Amino acid sequence: MTSTTAVLSQTQVTRSPATAVRQTVALAKRSTLELFRQPATVLPSMIFPLFFAFLGNSSFGGTTSLPGFPKVSSYLQFQLAGTITQGVLFGSVTGAAALATDIENGFFDRLLAAPTSRTSILFGRLAGSVLFGALETAVFIFVLLPFGADVSAGIRGIVAMIVSGALISLAVGALMSSVALKTGSSEAVQGTFPLLFILLFFSSAFFPRETMSGVYKTIAGLNPISHLVEGLRALSLEGFTASATARAILVPLAIAIVALLIANRQLRSRLKSH
Amino acid sequence: MTSSPIIAENLVRHFGDVQAVKGINLEIKAGEIFGFLGPNGAGKSTAVRMLTTLLRPTSGTARVAGYDVVKDADMVRRSIGVALQDAAIDPLMTGAELLALQAVLYGIPQSLMKKRSDELLERVGLTAAASRRVSTYSGGMRRRLDLALSLIHQPTVLFLDEPTTGLDPMSRLTLWEEVRRLNKEGTTVMLTTQYLEEADQLADRIAIIDHGKIVREGRPVDLKAGVGAPTLIIKTHADQEERAKAVLETFGDLRPGAEGALGVGLRGGAAQVTEVVRKLDESGVHVQHLEINEPSLDDVFAEATGYRLEGSDNAPPAGDNGVEEPDKKKKSRRGRK
Repeated sequence: MTSTTAVLSQTQVTRSPATAVRQTVALAKRSTLELFRQPATVLPSMIFPLFFAFLGNSSFGGTTSLPGFPKVSSYLQFQLAGTITQGVLFGSVTGAAALATDIENGFFDRLLAAPTSRTSILFGRLAGSVLFGALETAVFIFVLLPFGADVSAGIRGIVAMIVSGALISLAVGALMSSVALKTGSSEAVQGTFPLLFILLFFSSAFFPRETMSGVYKTIAGLNPISHLVEGLRALSLEGFTASATARAILVPLAIAIVALLIANRQLRSRLKSH
Repeated sequence: MTSSPIIAENLVRHFGDVQAVKGINLEIKAGEIFGFLGPNGAGKSTAVRMLTTLLRPTSGTARVAGYDVVKDADMVRRSIGVALQDAAIDPLMTGAELLALQAVLYGIPQSLMKKRSDELLERVGLTAAASRRVSTYSGGMRRRLDLALSLIHQPTVLFLDEPTTGLDPMSRLTLWEEVRRLNKEGTTVMLTTQYLEEADQLADRIAIIDHGKIVREGRPVDLKAGVGAPTLIIKTHADQEERAKAVLETFGDLRPGAEGALGVGLRGGAAQVTEVVRKLDESGVHVQHLEINEPSLDDVFAEATGYRLEGSDNAPPAGDNGVEEPDKKKKSRRGRK
């Protein structure tokens, strides 16, 4: 074999954790660019939650005086956490669907045919979702603030909410990526959409659990989405307290860790079966 | 002496009950252009996917660039360039962005990235289009970009999976030229194709694959010589075909012709044509069309498989043998290459 042309591949190509990080960053950049280059697929996850927030504010504005409803300055202040969770949930589905599309159209193979760190393929995608989740959270907060979505936790609280939103993205994104890796089908990923919607309605995203009763209350109590929403909500209602911050950060972080383990397993099993 | 850059021994791949590749043996020498010729579903792509580490063999072994494709998959990936027909180029990214991403994937140091990327863009004639999104590229431009991407780390072995399928004749010629140039520079090339002409023009050696098995292998010129006799093709009325066949059979072996035509390999060479015509006339066969063809790769193919690759409906239905892998759907929300 001629060795002259192989100079680059054999002496200067490096394989190290630093390379894996570089690959993850490059793939994250691609995921993010893609989101911004096809606004039609990401705008709905921004617009619908805002629409629901305003609709909820005008329809359910009066419910804030119900017994058991937390003390709020407006329904929007209560609703902000639900809106963020809803947007982040839908945004993460879009990111995972893009991963499934990569598998469908062969871009995934392109990555696999290269000496790409396998983990960076997953993390590159998720990093894109996380950035988008953080952006969505910031947009929701700043759009809703002038309409009464008071954040009692102040600037530090807003930062904590953005971190929380990003972690929720990571958790949901990793779970949805597992579906993408398992099925390799963007339809399957998007097929989870109605399910997410149902989960969202059977959670405390729109009403506090204290005002619920019976089975509905039990389901909402078991529903992980309730706990994601309530962590965020604690920040907007209670202020920047240690317990509120811990709930807002630790709950999504714990779910994210479990979800990442599942997603990593699905990735390994996909690689193994091929 | 180093060993051959591509060696496959008894390579087998099943998808469930379907045997897509049924034990192939290959040895491709350094500096060769090797053509893997076969119809859709014959097992070409499955074989290439095993050689490029994208699929694990069900059994058998392969060494590429000196490394085992299963045990040293990562080293194989570092050493080879791969341009797959089914692997889409992200239409939302620009050519330059994709090259930069590819450079990172292959661990090329930042300091070399720009230079390497510019050289490759120049090489495939995409310098002016570098900052445009791939969605605005023509089919030929996408294939050239794909080629550039596969060369980012200066591989010594290059796999091209149907590099010109769907391209117009001009783009096909441009790509052929580039493949020849790379080969002259020392790159070993394995390409799959369903075009006889492509295999004939480009490849030093070819293997014909059908139903997951290699049925012929060798230099095109030798394979053609092996078929020997020129082929006489005639067309006649459908009700006279049986009589015509009886006559033709006395001059040599019948060969599959295109739809509605009969073919015979003339044992006695082209000089026998007048006699054939006379005999046909005597038997009351009315000849509507007659042509004589020197042996081509199509004849080699027909002789090896019993059907013709081009201009024929005799090919076995796709999916009969080769299966579409589950994830390779022929559609995408974001477009395909």
